[in-house]
Amino acid sequence: MKKYLSVFEISYQQEFAYRLNFIMWRFRNIIQVFITFFMWTSIFAGSNKIIFGYSKERIFTYVLGILMVRAFVMSSRSADVSGDISRGEITNYLLKPINYFGFWLTRDLSSKVLNMIFALVETIILFLILKPVFFVQTNPMLVFAFLVSLAIAFFIYFNLLFLTNSVPFWYPEVAWGAQFLFMVVIAEFLSGSLFPIDVLPAVAQDILMLTPFPYLIYFPLQVYLGKLSTAMMLKGIVISGAWLVLLGFCLNKIWKRGLKAYTAHGR
Amino acid sequence: MNKNSFMSVMTQRFVFLIFLLGKIFRFITFGAFLLFLLKGTGGLGGYNINQVLFFYLTFIFVDSLAQVFFREVYRFRPLVISGDLDLILVKPINVLVRVLFGGTDFIDLASLPIILFFLIKTGQILNPNLFQVILFVLLMVNGLVIAMAFHIAVISFGIITLEIDHTILIYRDLLTFARFPIDIYKEPLKSILTYIIPVGVMITMPAKALMGIISPSGVVGSFLFGGLFLFLSLRFWNFALTKYTSASS
Repeated sequence: MKKYLSVFEISYQQEFAYRLNFIMWRFRNIIQVFITFFMWTSIFAGSNKIIFGYSKERIFTYVLGILMVRAFVMSSRSADVSGDISRGEITNYLLKPINYFGFWLTRDLSSKVLNMIFALVETIILFLILKPVFFVQTNPMLVFAFLVSLAIAFFIYFNLLFLTNSVPFWYPEVAWGAQFLFMVVIAEFLSGSLFPIDVLPAVAQDILMLTPFPYLIYFPLQVYLGKLSTAMMLKGIVISGAWLVLLGFCLNKIWKRGLKAYTAHGR
Repeated sequence: MNKNSFMSVMTQRFVFLIFLLGKIFRFITFGAFLLFLLKGTGGLGGYNINQVLFFYLTFIFVDSLAQVFFREVYRFRPLVISGDLDLILVKPINVLVRVLFGGTDFIDLASLPIILFFLIKTGQILNPNLFQVILFVLLMVNGLVIAMAFHIAVISFGIITLEIDHTILIYRDLLTFARFPIDIYKEPLKSILTYIIPVGVMITMPAKALMGIISPSGVVGSFLFGGLFLFLSLRFWNFALTKYTSASS
Protein backbone atom coordinates (compact mmCIF):
# COMPACT_ATOMS: atom_id res chain seq x y z
CA MET A 1 0.00 0.00 0.00
CA LYS A 2 2.87 2.30 0.88
CA LYS A 3 4.31 2.13 -2.63
CA TYR A 4 0.95 3.14 -4.12
CA LEU A 5 0.81 6.10 -1.77
CA SER A 6 4.27 7.08 -3.01
CA VAL A 7 3.09 6.74 -6.62
CA PHE A 8 0.10 8.91 -5.77
CA GLU A 9 2.26 11.57 -4.17
CA ILE A 10 4.86 11.66 -6.96
CA SER A 11 2.18 11.68 -9.65
CA TYR A 12 0.37 14.52 -7.90
CA GLN A 13 3.59 16.54 -7.79
CA GLN A 14 4.26 15.76 -11.45
CA GLU A 15 1.00 17.46 -12.39
CA PHE A 16 2.47 20.67 -11.00
CA ALA A 17 5.65 20.22 -13.03
CA TYR A 18 3.61 21.00 -16.14
CA ARG A 19 1.46 23.76 -14.70
CA LEU A 20 0.74 25.52 -17.96
CA ASN A 21 -0.37 22.25 -19.54
CA PHE A 22 -2.75 21.66 -16.68
CA ILE A 23 -4.13 25.19 -16.64
CA MET A 24 -4.70 25.02 -20.40
CA TRP A 25 -6.60 21.75 -20.04
CA ARG A 26 -8.83 23.31 -17.38
CA PHE A 27 -9.25 26.47 -19.46
CA ARG A 28 -10.49 24.41 -22.40
CA ASN A 29 -13.07 22.71 -20.18
CA ILE A 30 -14.35 26.09 -19.02
CA ILE A 31 -14.70 27.38 -22.59
CA GLN A 32 -16.81 24.34 -23.39
CA VAL A 33 -19.07 25.06 -20.41
CA PHE A 34 -19.39 28.72 -21.44
CA ILE A 35 -20.48 27.80 -24.97
CA THR A 36 -22.98 25.18 -23.81
CA PHE A 37 -24.29 27.46 -21.06
CA PHE A 38 -25.00 30.35 -23.42
CA MET A 39 -26.54 28.01 -25.98
CA TRP A 40 -29.06 26.77 -23.40
CA THR A 41 -29.58 30.30 -22.02
CA SER A 42 -30.56 31.36 -25.52
CA ILE A 43 -32.92 28.40 -25.88
CA PHE A 44 -34.62 29.10 -22.55
CA ALA A 45 -34.59 32.89 -23.01
CA GLY A 46 -37.48 34.53 -21.19
CA SER A 47 -39.49 31.37 -20.59
CA ASN A 48 -39.87 28.58 -18.09
CA LYS A 49 -40.79 25.90 -20.61
CA ILE A 50 -39.65 22.28 -20.40
CA ILE A 51 -37.40 21.21 -23.29
CA PHE A 52 -36.43 17.58 -23.82
CA GLY A 53 -37.71 16.96 -20.31
CA TYR A 54 -35.40 19.59 -18.80
CA SER A 55 -36.44 22.65 -16.85
CA LYS A 56 -34.08 25.62 -16.90
CA GLU A 57 -32.58 24.71 -13.52
CA ARG A 58 -32.06 21.08 -14.48
CA ILE A 59 -30.31 21.85 -17.78
CA PHE A 60 -27.99 24.39 -16.15
CA THR A 61 -27.20 21.85 -13.46
CA TYR A 62 -26.43 19.36 -16.23
CA VAL A 63 -24.08 21.84 -17.93
CA LEU A 64 -22.19 22.72 -14.73
CA GLY A 65 -22.37 19.08 -13.63
CA ILE A 66 -20.44 18.09 -16.77
CA LEU A 67 -17.45 20.00 -15.41
CA MET A 68 -17.38 18.03 -12.15
CA VAL A 69 -18.28 14.62 -13.57
CA ARG A 70 -15.78 14.97 -16.41
CA ALA A 71 -13.07 15.91 -13.93
CA PHE A 72 -13.79 12.75 -11.97
CA VAL A 73 -14.38 10.30 -14.82
CA MET A 74 -12.24 11.51 -17.69
CA SER A 75 -9.19 13.02 -15.98
CA SER A 76 -6.49 10.48 -16.47
CA ARG A 77 -2.77 9.91 -16.75
CA SER A 78 -3.03 6.42 -18.22
CA ALA A 79 -3.42 7.87 -21.71
CA ASP A 80 0.41 7.83 -21.64
CA VAL A 81 0.44 4.03 -21.67
CA SER A 82 -0.05 3.68 -25.44
CA GLY A 83 3.02 5.85 -26.05
CA ASP A 84 5.02 3.74 -23.57
CA ILE A 85 4.03 0.59 -25.48
CA SER A 86 4.81 1.98 -28.92
CA ARG A 87 8.23 3.23 -27.73
CA GLY A 88 9.01 0.03 -25.86
CA GLU A 89 9.20 1.88 -22.54
CA ILE A 90 6.60 -0.30 -20.84
CA THR A 91 9.41 -2.79 -20.17
CA ASN A 92 10.70 -0.51 -17.40
CA TYR A 93 7.40 -0.81 -15.55
CA LEU A 94 6.86 -4.52 -16.11
CA LEU A 95 10.16 -5.28 -14.37
CA LYS A 96 9.17 -3.40 -11.24
CA PRO A 97 7.50 -5.14 -8.26
CA ILE A 98 4.21 -3.33 -8.67
CA ASN A 99 0.89 -4.22 -10.28
CA TYR A 100 0.85 -2.35 -13.58
CA PHE A 101 -2.89 -1.62 -13.54
CA GLY A 102 -2.70 -0.63 -9.88
CA PHE A 103 0.14 1.74 -10.72
CA TRP A 104 -1.87 3.54 -13.39
CA LEU A 105 -5.07 3.47 -11.39
CA THR A 106 -3.18 5.28 -8.63
CA ARG A 107 -1.78 7.81 -11.09
CA ASP A 108 -5.29 8.34 -12.47
CA LEU A 109 -6.60 8.90 -8.96
CA SER A 110 -4.03 11.61 -8.30
CA SER A 111 -5.00 13.31 -11.54
CA LYS A 112 -8.67 13.06 -10.67
CA VAL A 113 -8.17 14.54 -7.20
CA LEU A 114 -6.33 17.54 -8.61
CA ASN A 115 -8.85 18.03 -11.42
CA MET A 116 -11.75 17.71 -8.98
CA ILE A 117 -10.28 20.44 -6.78
CA PHE A 118 -9.89 22.75 -9.76
CA ALA A 119 -13.31 21.82 -11.17
CA LEU A 120 -14.92 22.66 -7.83
CA VAL A 121 -13.25 26.08 -7.74
CA GLU A 122 -14.19 26.70 -11.40
CA THR A 123 -17.79 25.66 -10.76
CA ILE A 124 -18.03 28.12 -7.89
CA ILE A 125 -16.50 30.90 -10.02
CA LEU A 126 -18.77 30.10 -12.97
CA PHE A 127 -21.71 29.97 -10.60
CA LEU A 128 -20.85 33.46 -9.34
CA ILE A 129 -20.31 34.84 -12.87
CA LEU A 130 -23.21 33.20 -14.68
CA LYS A 131 -25.61 33.05 -11.72
CA PRO A 132 -27.58 30.11 -13.10
CA VAL A 133 -30.61 28.58 -11.41
CA PHE A 134 -29.29 25.35 -9.92
CA PHE A 135 -30.87 22.07 -8.89
CA VAL A 136 -29.66 20.48 -5.65
CA GLN A 137 -30.59 16.83 -5.19
CA THR A 138 -31.78 16.24 -1.65
CA ASN A 139 -32.96 12.61 -1.96
CA PRO A 140 -30.24 10.52 -0.19
CA MET A 141 -31.10 7.42 -2.23
CA LEU A 142 -30.54 9.29 -5.51
CA VAL A 143 -27.32 10.83 -4.21
CA PHE A 144 -26.13 7.32 -3.30
CA ALA A 145 -27.16 5.96 -6.73
CA PHE A 146 -25.33 8.92 -8.33
CA LEU A 147 -22.13 8.01 -6.44
CA VAL A 148 -22.50 4.35 -7.47
CA SER A 149 -22.95 5.33 -11.13
CA LEU A 150 -19.88 7.60 -10.85
CA ALA A 151 -17.80 4.74 -9.46
CA ILE A 152 -18.89 2.49 -12.35
CA ALA A 153 -18.15 5.29 -14.84
CA PHE A 154 -14.68 5.70 -13.34
CA PHE A 155 -13.81 2.03 -13.97
CA ILE A 156 -15.54 1.83 -17.36
CA TYR A 157 -13.41 4.76 -18.54
CA PHE A 158 -10.25 3.17 -17.16
CA ASN A 159 -11.02 -0.10 -18.98
CA LEU A 160 -11.92 1.66 -22.23
CA LEU A 161 -8.74 3.70 -22.09
CA PHE A 162 -6.57 0.66 -21.42
CA LEU A 163 -8.27 -1.28 -24.23
CA THR A 164 -7.45 1.61 -26.57
CA ASN A 165 -3.95 1.71 -25.11
CA SER A 166 -3.52 -1.95 -26.09
CA VAL A 167 -3.71 -1.20 -29.83
CA PRO A 168 0.04 -0.31 -30.10
CA PHE A 169 0.95 -3.86 -29.03
CA TRP A 170 0.07 -4.79 -32.60
CA TYR A 171 0.11 -1.39 -34.36
CA PRO A 172 2.68 0.88 -32.65
CA GLU A 173 2.22 3.67 -35.19
CA VAL A 174 -1.51 3.97 -34.36
CA ALA A 175 -0.99 4.85 -30.69
CA TRP A 176 -2.32 8.42 -30.82
CA GLY A 177 -4.71 7.68 -33.70
CA ALA A 178 -6.60 5.04 -31.70
CA GLN A 179 -6.89 7.37 -28.71
CA PHE A 180 -8.06 10.21 -30.90
CA LEU A 181 -10.78 8.10 -32.49
CA PHE A 182 -12.10 6.24 -29.44
CA MET A 183 -11.37 8.44 -26.44
CA VAL A 184 -11.31 11.97 -27.86
CA VAL A 185 -14.00 11.74 -30.52
CA ILE A 186 -16.35 8.80 -29.85
CA ALA A 187 -16.28 8.81 -26.04
CA GLU A 188 -16.53 12.61 -25.97
CA PHE A 189 -19.58 12.82 -28.20
CA LEU A 190 -21.47 9.72 -27.09
CA SER A 191 -20.92 10.28 -23.36
CA GLY A 192 -23.22 13.29 -23.30
CA SER A 193 -20.52 15.79 -22.44
CA LEU A 194 -21.51 18.06 -25.32
CA PHE A 195 -25.26 17.46 -25.52
CA PRO A 196 -27.52 15.37 -23.32
CA ILE A 197 -28.31 12.11 -25.12
CA ASP A 198 -32.07 12.69 -24.81
CA VAL A 199 -32.06 15.36 -27.51
CA LEU A 200 -31.74 12.43 -29.95
CA PRO A 201 -34.73 10.46 -31.29
CA ALA A 202 -35.93 7.63 -29.02
CA VAL A 203 -34.53 4.88 -31.26
CA ALA A 204 -31.04 6.43 -31.28
CA GLN A 205 -31.21 6.86 -27.50
CA ASP A 206 -32.21 3.23 -26.98
CA ILE A 207 -29.30 2.03 -29.13
CA LEU A 208 -26.80 4.37 -27.49
CA MET A 209 -27.87 3.31 -24.00
CA LEU A 210 -26.78 -0.22 -24.87
CA THR A 211 -23.21 1.05 -25.39
CA PRO A 212 -20.88 1.93 -22.47
CA PHE A 213 -20.39 5.58 -23.46
CA PRO A 214 -23.52 7.29 -22.02
CA TYR A 215 -22.71 5.73 -18.64
CA LEU A 216 -19.61 7.92 -18.39
CA ILE A 217 -21.29 11.34 -18.08
CA TYR A 218 -24.92 11.33 -19.15
CA PHE A 219 -26.28 8.56 -16.95
CA PRO A 220 -24.72 9.72 -13.64
CA LEU A 221 -26.08 13.21 -14.27
CA GLN A 222 -29.54 11.84 -15.09
CA VAL A 223 -29.49 9.97 -11.79
CA TYR A 224 -28.43 13.11 -9.92
CA LEU A 225 -31.15 15.17 -11.58
CA GLY A 226 -33.75 12.56 -10.63
CA LYS A 227 -34.95 12.27 -14.22
CA LEU A 228 -35.13 8.48 -14.16
CA SER A 229 -37.69 6.20 -12.60
CA THR A 230 -36.35 3.68 -10.07
CA ALA A 231 -36.70 0.90 -12.65
CA MET A 232 -34.83 2.88 -15.30
CA MET A 233 -32.14 3.77 -12.82
CA LEU A 234 -31.64 0.16 -11.76
CA LYS A 235 -31.64 -0.94 -15.40
CA GLY A 236 -28.93 1.61 -16.14
CA ILE A 237 -26.82 0.51 -13.21
CA VAL A 238 -27.16 -3.15 -14.24
CA ILE A 239 -26.23 -2.41 -17.89
CA SER A 240 -23.26 -0.26 -16.91
CA GLY A 241 -22.18 -2.89 -14.37
CA ALA A 242 -22.40 -5.55 -17.10
CA TRP A 243 -20.28 -3.38 -19.36
CA LEU A 244 -17.75 -2.96 -16.60
CA VAL A 245 -17.46 -6.75 -16.18
CA LEU A 246 -17.32 -7.34 -19.94
CA LEU A 247 -14.71 -4.66 -20.55
CA GLY A 248 -12.64 -5.91 -17.62
CA PHE A 249 -12.76 -9.44 -19.03
CA CYS A 250 -11.81 -8.26 -22.53
CA LEU A 251 -9.00 -6.10 -21.17
CA ASN A 252 -7.59 -9.02 -19.22
CA LYS A 253 -7.58 -11.26 -22.31
CA ILE A 254 -6.30 -8.61 -24.73
CA TRP A 255 -3.62 -7.35 -22.36
CA LYS A 256 -2.22 -10.87 -21.88
CA ARG A 257 -2.17 -11.43 -25.64
CA GLY A 258 -0.64 -8.01 -26.12
CA LEU A 259 2.18 -8.75 -23.72
CA LYS A 260 2.90 -11.94 -25.66
CA ALA A 261 2.99 -9.95 -28.89
CA TYR A 262 5.12 -7.19 -27.32
CA THR A 263 8.64 -7.07 -28.69
CA ALA A 264 10.01 -4.05 -26.76
CA HIS A 265 9.97 -2.18 -30.02
CA GLY A 266 12.57 0.59 -30.11
CA ARG A 267 14.56 -0.75 -27.15
CA MET B 1 7.25 21.40 -49.61
CA ASN B 2 3.65 20.24 -49.67
CA LYS B 3 4.49 17.36 -52.00
CA ASN B 4 6.93 16.10 -49.35
CA SER B 5 4.27 16.61 -46.72
CA PHE B 6 1.80 14.56 -48.78
CA MET B 7 4.29 11.74 -49.32
CA SER B 8 5.03 11.69 -45.59
CA VAL B 9 1.31 11.29 -44.83
CA MET B 10 0.95 8.53 -47.42
CA THR B 11 3.62 6.42 -45.72
CA GLN B 12 1.10 5.92 -42.90
CA ARG B 13 -2.17 5.44 -44.74
CA PHE B 14 -3.83 3.56 -41.89
CA VAL B 15 -3.17 6.41 -39.44
CA PHE B 16 -4.40 8.87 -42.06
CA LEU B 17 -7.66 6.90 -42.40
CA ILE B 18 -8.20 6.75 -38.62
CA PHE B 19 -7.82 10.51 -38.24
CA LEU B 20 -9.99 11.18 -41.28
CA LEU B 21 -12.67 8.86 -39.90
CA GLY B 22 -12.48 10.62 -36.52
CA LYS B 23 -12.85 14.06 -38.06
CA ILE B 24 -15.79 13.01 -40.22
CA PHE B 25 -17.46 11.28 -37.26
CA ARG B 26 -17.04 14.41 -35.14
CA PHE B 27 -18.41 16.67 -37.89
CA ILE B 28 -21.46 14.50 -38.58
CA THR B 29 -22.23 13.67 -34.93
CA PHE B 30 -22.12 17.29 -33.80
CA GLY B 31 -24.26 18.27 -36.80
CA ALA B 32 -26.78 15.53 -35.99
CA PHE B 33 -26.98 16.51 -32.32
CA LEU B 34 -27.44 20.13 -33.32
CA LEU B 35 -30.13 19.25 -35.86
CA PHE B 36 -32.17 17.22 -33.37
CA LEU B 37 -31.72 19.88 -30.70
CA LEU B 38 -32.95 22.59 -33.06
CA LYS B 39 -35.89 20.47 -34.18
CA GLY B 40 -36.95 20.33 -30.54
CA THR B 41 -36.44 24.03 -29.89
CA GLY B 42 -37.39 25.44 -33.30
CA GLY B 43 -34.24 27.55 -33.56
CA LEU B 44 -31.60 29.37 -31.56
CA GLY B 45 -31.23 33.04 -30.65
CA GLY B 46 -33.85 34.11 -33.18
CA TYR B 47 -32.32 32.10 -36.04
CA ASN B 48 -34.14 29.21 -37.67
CA ILE B 49 -32.79 25.66 -37.97
CA ASN B 50 -31.16 26.09 -41.39
CA GLN B 51 -29.53 29.37 -40.39
CA VAL B 52 -27.99 27.89 -37.22
CA LEU B 53 -26.75 24.88 -39.19
CA PHE B 54 -25.22 27.26 -41.72
CA PHE B 55 -23.35 29.10 -38.94
CA TYR B 56 -22.00 25.75 -37.74
CA LEU B 57 -20.99 24.65 -41.25
CA THR B 58 -19.28 27.99 -41.92
CA PHE B 59 -17.33 27.55 -38.68
CA ILE B 60 -16.23 24.03 -39.62
CA PHE B 61 -15.29 25.12 -43.14
CA VAL B 62 -13.19 28.13 -42.08
CA ASP B 63 -11.56 26.15 -39.26
CA SER B 64 -10.71 23.25 -41.58
CA LEU B 65 -9.39 25.58 -44.28
CA ALA B 66 -7.16 27.29 -41.71
CA GLN B 67 -5.90 23.85 -40.66
CA VAL B 68 -5.21 22.92 -44.27
CA PHE B 69 -3.19 26.06 -44.91
CA PHE B 70 -1.48 26.78 -41.60
CA ARG B 71 -0.75 23.35 -40.12
CA GLU B 72 2.99 23.93 -40.31
CA VAL B 73 2.65 26.42 -37.45
CA TYR B 74 2.20 23.43 -35.11
CA ARG B 75 5.73 22.33 -36.04
CA PHE B 76 7.33 25.75 -35.57
CA ARG B 77 8.37 25.45 -31.91
CA PRO B 78 11.02 22.73 -32.45
CA LEU B 79 12.57 24.91 -35.15
CA VAL B 80 13.00 27.80 -32.74
CA ILE B 81 14.15 25.67 -29.81
CA SER B 82 16.71 23.72 -31.80
CA GLY B 83 17.84 26.74 -33.78
CA ASP B 84 16.93 24.93 -37.01
CA LEU B 85 15.04 28.03 -38.07
CA ASP B 86 18.48 29.21 -39.21
CA LEU B 87 18.32 26.65 -42.02
CA ILE B 88 15.14 28.26 -43.30
CA LEU B 89 16.31 31.84 -42.77
CA VAL B 90 19.32 31.34 -45.04
CA LYS B 91 17.31 29.83 -47.88
CA PRO B 92 16.17 32.00 -50.80
CA ILE B 93 12.48 31.68 -49.89
CA ASN B 94 10.14 33.85 -47.89
CA VAL B 95 10.51 32.59 -44.32
CA LEU B 96 6.98 33.51 -43.32
CA VAL B 97 5.51 31.66 -46.30
CA ARG B 98 7.63 28.60 -45.47
CA VAL B 99 6.68 28.43 -41.78
CA LEU B 100 3.02 29.19 -42.42
CA PHE B 101 2.23 27.14 -45.53
CA GLY B 102 5.03 24.55 -45.47
CA GLY B 103 2.96 21.57 -44.31
CA THR B 104 -0.57 21.18 -45.60
CA ASP B 105 -2.88 19.13 -43.39
CA PHE B 106 -4.07 16.48 -45.82
CA ILE B 107 -6.51 14.96 -43.34
CA ASP B 108 -8.45 18.22 -43.20
CA LEU B 109 -8.03 18.62 -46.94
CA ALA B 110 -9.62 15.21 -47.48
CA SER B 111 -12.60 16.10 -45.27
CA LEU B 112 -13.18 19.48 -46.96
CA PRO B 113 -15.29 18.18 -49.90
CA ILE B 114 -17.82 16.63 -47.48
CA ILE B 115 -18.04 19.85 -45.44
CA LEU B 116 -18.29 21.93 -48.61
CA PHE B 117 -21.11 19.72 -49.89
CA PHE B 118 -23.19 20.28 -46.74
CA LEU B 119 -22.28 23.99 -46.69
CA ILE B 120 -23.52 24.48 -50.26
CA LYS B 121 -26.67 22.37 -49.73
CA THR B 122 -27.61 24.25 -46.56
CA GLY B 123 -26.69 27.58 -48.15
CA GLN B 124 -29.01 26.86 -51.10
CA ILE B 125 -31.95 26.40 -48.72
CA LEU B 126 -31.38 29.97 -47.51
CA ASN B 127 -32.03 31.27 -51.06
CA PRO B 128 -29.22 33.82 -51.33
CA ASN B 129 -28.86 36.07 -54.39
CA LEU B 130 -25.61 36.32 -56.33
CA PHE B 131 -24.48 39.44 -54.47
CA GLN B 132 -24.96 37.73 -51.11
CA VAL B 133 -22.97 34.70 -52.28
CA ILE B 134 -20.10 36.89 -53.51
CA LEU B 135 -20.12 38.83 -50.25
CA PHE B 136 -20.11 35.56 -48.31
CA VAL B 137 -17.07 34.30 -50.23
CA LEU B 138 -15.22 37.61 -49.85
CA LEU B 139 -15.93 37.79 -46.12
CA MET B 140 -14.85 34.19 -45.70
CA VAL B 141 -11.57 35.02 -47.42
CA ASN B 142 -11.34 37.94 -44.99
CA GLY B 143 -11.94 35.43 -42.19
CA LEU B 144 -9.04 33.35 -43.47
CA VAL B 145 -6.87 36.49 -43.57
CA ILE B 146 -7.69 37.05 -39.89
CA ALA B 147 -6.90 33.37 -39.20
CA MET B 148 -3.57 33.87 -40.95
CA ALA B 149 -2.92 36.99 -38.89
CA PHE B 150 -3.63 34.96 -35.72
CA HIS B 151 -1.18 32.28 -36.80
CA ILE B 152 1.49 34.88 -37.64
CA ALA B 153 0.98 36.45 -34.21
CA VAL B 154 1.25 33.03 -32.56
CA ILE B 155 4.57 32.13 -34.20
CA SER B 156 5.92 35.62 -33.52
CA PHE B 157 4.97 35.21 -29.89
CA GLY B 158 6.63 31.81 -30.06
CA ILE B 159 9.96 33.29 -31.16
CA ILE B 160 9.95 35.64 -28.18
CA THR B 161 8.59 33.29 -25.50
CA LEU B 162 9.13 29.78 -27.00
CA GLU B 163 5.43 29.16 -26.26
CA ILE B 164 3.37 28.10 -29.26
CA ASP B 165 1.41 24.90 -28.64
CA HIS B 166 -0.81 26.33 -25.93
CA THR B 167 -1.35 29.65 -27.66
CA ILE B 168 -2.56 27.92 -30.80
CA LEU B 169 -4.89 25.73 -28.75
CA ILE B 170 -6.31 28.83 -27.06
CA TYR B 171 -6.96 30.29 -30.50
CA ARG B 172 -8.76 27.11 -31.60
CA ASP B 173 -10.80 26.94 -28.41
CA LEU B 174 -11.85 30.56 -28.73
CA LEU B 175 -12.80 29.90 -32.33
CA THR B 176 -15.31 27.27 -31.16
CA PHE B 177 -17.42 30.10 -29.72
CA ALA B 178 -18.36 30.76 -33.35
CA ARG B 179 -19.96 27.33 -33.74
CA PHE B 180 -23.10 29.28 -32.91
CA PRO B 181 -23.96 32.84 -33.97
CA ILE B 182 -22.20 35.18 -31.55
CA ASP B 183 -25.51 36.96 -30.93
CA ILE B 184 -26.38 34.24 -28.40
CA TYR B 185 -23.58 35.37 -26.06
CA LYS B 186 -24.13 38.10 -23.51
CA GLU B 187 -22.06 41.24 -23.01
CA PRO B 188 -19.14 41.69 -22.46
CA LEU B 189 -18.37 38.31 -24.06
CA LYS B 190 -20.17 39.30 -27.26
CA SER B 191 -18.06 42.45 -27.69
CA ILE B 192 -14.87 40.54 -26.90
CA LEU B 193 -15.74 37.99 -29.61
CA THR B 194 -16.41 40.80 -32.07
CA TYR B 195 -13.68 43.35 -31.42
CA ILE B 196 -10.85 41.73 -29.44
CA ILE B 197 -10.83 38.09 -30.57
CA PRO B 198 -12.77 38.65 -33.78
CA VAL B 199 -14.14 35.14 -34.28
CA GLY B 200 -17.46 36.84 -35.02
CA VAL B 201 -15.87 38.71 -37.94
CA MET B 202 -14.27 35.49 -39.16
CA ILE B 203 -17.35 33.29 -39.11
CA THR B 204 -20.61 34.92 -38.01
CA MET B 205 -20.27 37.89 -40.41
CA PRO B 206 -19.76 35.82 -43.61
CA ALA B 207 -22.71 33.60 -42.70
CA LYS B 208 -24.87 36.65 -42.01
CA ALA B 209 -23.84 38.11 -45.38
CA LEU B 210 -25.20 35.04 -47.16
CA MET B 211 -28.45 35.38 -45.23
CA GLY B 212 -28.65 39.05 -46.24
CA ILE B 213 -28.77 40.30 -42.66
CA ILE B 214 -25.50 42.21 -42.49
CA SER B 215 -25.30 46.01 -42.57
CA PRO B 216 -22.99 47.88 -45.02
CA SER B 217 -21.02 49.19 -42.03
CA GLY B 218 -20.63 45.61 -40.84
CA VAL B 219 -19.13 44.63 -44.21
CA VAL B 220 -16.74 47.59 -44.35
CA GLY B 221 -15.82 47.14 -40.68
CA SER B 222 -15.04 43.45 -41.25
CA PHE B 223 -12.64 44.15 -44.11
CA LEU B 224 -10.96 46.99 -42.20
CA PHE B 225 -10.59 44.67 -39.24
CA GLY B 226 -9.03 41.97 -41.41
CA GLY B 227 -6.55 44.43 -42.95
CA LEU B 228 -5.65 45.93 -39.58
CA PHE B 229 -5.12 42.51 -38.01
CA LEU B 230 -2.87 41.39 -40.84
CA PHE B 231 -0.87 44.63 -40.72
CA LEU B 232 -0.33 44.41 -36.97
CA SER B 233 0.61 40.74 -37.09
CA LEU B 234 3.18 41.39 -39.84
CA ARG B 235 4.70 44.20 -37.79
CA PHE B 236 4.83 41.86 -34.81
CA TRP B 237 6.51 39.17 -36.96
CA ASN B 238 9.18 41.61 -38.11
CA PHE B 239 9.74 42.69 -34.53
CA ALA B 240 9.90 39.06 -33.30
CA LEU B 241 12.51 38.16 -35.92
CA THR B 242 14.84 40.75 -34.42
CA LYS B 243 14.55 38.86 -31.11
CA TYR B 244 15.46 35.47 -32.58
CA THR B 245 18.68 34.37 -30.90
CA SER B 246 19.44 31.25 -32.96
CA ALA B 247 19.83 29.38 -29.66
CA SER B 248 21.20 25.81 -29.74
CA SER B 249 22.27 26.06 -33.34
